[in-house]
Amino acid sequence: MTPLQIGLFLLAALSGGAVVLTREPRRQAVAMGFNGLVLALLFMVLQAPDVAYSEIAINSVILPVLFLVALAAARINNRRREIDRP
Amino acid sequence: MTSLRTIIAAFLCAIALGLASAGLYGLPAFGHYPGPYGDIINRQGPAERHATNMVTLVNFDYRGFDTLGEEFILFAAVIGAVVLLREHRGEEASARPDQADEAPIPERSEAVAFGCRLALGITALFGIYVVLHAQLTPGGGFQGGAIVGSATALLYLGLGYPAWRGMMRSRVLDTAEAAGALAFIGAGLAAIGAGAPFLTNLLPLGTTGSIVSAGVIPLLNIAVGIAVAAGFGTLFLEYLEETREPESGGEQ
Repeated sequence: MTPLQIGLFLLAALSGGAVVLTREPRRQAVAMGFNGLVLALLFMVLQAPDVAYSEIAINSVILPVLFLVALAAARINNRRREIDRP
Repeated sequence: MTSLRTIIAAFLCAIALGLASAGLYGLPAFGHYPGPYGDIINRQGPAERHATNMVTLVNFDYRGFDTLGEEFILFAAVIGAVVLLREHRGEEASARPDQADEAPIPERSEAVAFGCRLALGITALFGIYVVLHAQLTPGGGFQGGAIVGSATALLYLGLGYPAWRGMMRSRVLDTAEAAGALAFIGAGLAAIGAGAPFLTNLLPLGTTGSIVSAGVIPLLNIAVGIAVAAGFGTLFLEYLEETREPESGGEQ
């Protein structure tokens, strides 16, 4: 195993742990995006570029954006319900 | 003070770690693949199908039927999300942003808008490149489609909601997604029509390394690329619509 692979494996474990330990959902979405970026680099180094493309597009861009939007929608819905309930 | 829960968790973690270590230890060394399948594909693939990316070759030719199933997993997931969200909201669209609290919505900074506009064209172009070079270089219809889909998120960040909403036509996206999925099935049925098994690669194979080589593989990838990009566009659209203020009388 090359130093680059070992470094990326450790970084993957660290960033994955960070996603679990981050308790605030909005920060967690961003942490997940970073974890996806590390995993994509790891796949690239392990010579799986096809998977790396999917990983970076889905886990670093699309999923965090959908999570952030869903969190915003949930907060807005809560507020609407509070307004409706006099 | 350690509770019983912590002790059980630590115990289970230790077991999982032990199993994972044992599994990793038993793996063949990196680059020393023991099975015959990869070697056979590497030897036969370029000669039989004139493709240079073996991953795409397996996904869209030798195991094309499996990919049809995968394609429809995403299709079904997007339709599920759309049906659930629209049932609650109706089909009306609104351009006014709603807020969770009274704080004013901050202006998007010029640096963000500029950066997103700069990255947008490059990202979309790269996604299209990945789709079109599916049989030649790493990537393919799904990867390229997802990259184009993520470019539409940049469109929203760079241009703001109204401009983004103007470009993302729900009907166009729905049609594109369905058309992409239909084209995949159509290519499979066309092979049956010609008297061969479903999804047989019957088109002329062309020159190895050319963008129109490998028969039906590029067409399948373009179909998947369109379906996936439109699918993610639809997801963004339906999710973001949830953060809009409903038009008066729009909600029952």
